[in-house]
Formats: sequence, C-alpha cells, structure tokens
Amino acid sequence: MEELNCETVFTLPVLGGISESVVVTWIIMAVLVILSIVLVRNLKVENPGKVQLALEAGIGWAQDFFEGIIGKENRRYIPYLITVLLYLAFSNTIAPLFGFKPPTKDLNVTAGLAIMSMCLIEYSGIHKNGLKHWVKHFAQPVPVVAPIMILEVVIRPLSLCMRLFGNMLAGFVVMELIKTIVPLIIPIPVSFYFDIFDGLLQAYVFVFLTGLFMNEEME
Amino acid sequence: MLSLDLNLVWNIINLVVLYLLLRHFLFKPVMGIMEKRRQIIEDGLKNAQDAQNDAMKMKQEYEDALKGAKQESAQIIENARSAAKNEYNRIVGEAGDKAGNIIESAKETVRVEREQTMKELQSEIAGLAVASAAKIVGRTADEDLYDQFLKEVGGSHDDTDNK
Repeated sequence: MEELNCETVFTLPVLGGISESVVVTWIIMAVLVILSIVLVRNLKVENPGKVQLALEAGIGWAQDFFEGIIGKENRRYIPYLITVLLYLAFSNTIAPLFGFKPPTKDLNVTAGLAIMSMCLIEYSGIHKNGLKHWVKHFAQPVPVVAPIMILEVVIRPLSLCMRLFGNMLAGFVVMELIKTIVPLIIPIPVSFYFDIFDGLLQAYVFVFLTGLFMNEEME
Repeated sequence: MLSLDLNLVWNIINLVVLYLLLRHFLFKPVMGIMEKRRQIIEDGLKNAQDAQNDAMKMKQEYEDALKGAKQESAQIIENARSAAKNEYNRIVGEAGDKAGNIIESAKETVRVEREQTMKELQSEIAGLAVASAAKIVGRTADEDLYDQFLKEVGGSHDDTDNK
C-alpha cells in the first residue's frame, strides 16, 4: 500500500512538505522546457529541417484541434490548452517510461489542473460576453435552473479532476497489483493499455472537455 | 491519498510557470515561424494575383491602343484617298480646260493666219493678174479692157473682203 501514498520528498522550513508529485512535475517541466529550447533552435521560415517539420506538424495539429473546438477567434487560449495537453501526456505516461509515480495520481495535481480549468472557463466567458452577460446566463433559459447552473461551475471542474484522478489512480493500482502477482511479461501489454493508452486518452479528454466547456461558456 | 494540502497551490504555480515557460520557449517561436510562413505564402499569392491583374490590364490597354491605331490608319488612308481623288479630278479638269483653250487658240491662230494668207494671196493674184494682163495686152494696154478687168477682179476682191 505504500505505493499509493504520495510521499513527502522534503520539507521546506516555512512552506511545509513538498510532495512527490510536485517534484515529478518539476522534472517534467524541466524536460519540456529543455526539449522545447533544443527543438526550437534554428527555426527557419524556408527549408525547415525534419525536426522542425515534425514540431510544426505537432503544434499545427494541436492548434487545428483546439481551433475546431473553441473557434479561431479564441486562439489566445490555445497555448495554455496545449501546455496542459503536453503536461498531462507526459505525466500520465511517465510511470512505465521513467519509473516515476505519475503526478496525476495525486489529487492535488488534478485538483490544481481543474481549478485552473475552472478559472479559464469562467474567465473566457466573462472576457467574451462581459460580466453582465455572465451573471445573467445563470438564469438562462429559465430562472428556475439558476441553482443547477451555479452548481455546474463547480461540477465541471470537479468532474474533470475526479475523472483524471480516478483513471490514473485505478490504472496505477491495477498495474501495481499485476506487478505484484505476475512480475514477468504480463505487465507489458497491460501497461500499454493502462499507462500509455489510458494516459494519453485521459490527457486528450481533459483538454477536450476544457475546450468544450469554454466554448459553451463563450456562446 | 485523498487529501488536499498546500501541494495543490504548488501544483497550480507549477502549471502557470510551465505555461509561461512553454509560451516563451515553444509556442511563440513556432507559431511565429508558422505565421511568418503563412504571411509569406499569402504575400506571394497576392503578388502573383496583382501581377496577373496588371498584365491583363496592360493587355487590354494595348488591345485598345491597337484597335484605335487600326481605326486611325484606316481613317488616314480614307482621307488620303479622297484628297487624292479631289486632286485628280481637279488636275484632269484643269488639263481639259487648258487643252480646250489651247485648241481654241490654235483654231483662232489658224483662222487668222488663213485670212492673212488669203489676203496676201489675193493681192498677189491681183498683181499677177495685172502683170499677166499687161503682158497679154502689151505695154500699151487698152484702157477699156483694163477697166473691164479691174471691174471684174475688183468685184470678186470685194466679195472676199466682205466675207
């Protein structure tokens, strides 16, 4: 059972304990930033190299994907969504690839992501249609639904948070159990499903739903 | 496992920092490059379109100019032709007039000369007649015969004068 716990890696004097997920997130951040610095070097407008083409294809795909959800006029939110997508894709698949515990198994991480998503969803709605319209839209189409609409503000990020956390934790638990029972060969295909496939799927679902909610809010 | 603590805040901060870092190191350069390329392609297409439009406009202008030139040349030829015709008619008319005048004056000259010749001939004939008569009659001519002859000849002489 000790694998399920999020251990405190070290304790800072004033700020308290720093958990494993935060440290792993730091590592992922460092890797992502170094990767982008390395890959973004020597970008050329004409005659791009293979690396640049792959990079542009990836970013272009993500950009088109999010533009399709939240529309071309809201493309300023796209970098954040791609950041979350990259972060989740890395952190969900980090367990089989590098042996870290996935940070998304920690409720603090998914809750943080969901809170950020909630802020972004509401902010995008306010930014697009104004504060007045945002307040009024709780009473749409009939004022009776207002409590449900207000609840939705919390439910949407809560569902995002719990979906991601539940999937990752369940996958992690299943993987640990299998590894305990049959440590040989069998965990490989199962790991492909629970860690790689499910991890990427959950990353996709998280940003997809965030984009969808933002689009809903901006209507 | 299911506990929320201060790490939530650290994770949010991490996420924001990661977003800012990636925005600076990844999205800005890559999207900038993509945007720049798109701009270049768009400019190229626009320039090509402009060049084509210009070419079409020039072609139209040339065609118009050519058409105008054709019409003008036809007009010029037409003018030249009519001018030449007028000139021709004038010259031919003048020539005809002149020829008529020349013929007329030649006729007149011939007539005058004939008359003069006639006159000369008459006086000569008269002289000859006198001489021949004198020869016939002799030096001492008969006064009567002479008179009679003169009457005859003079009468015919008068006739020619009166003509």
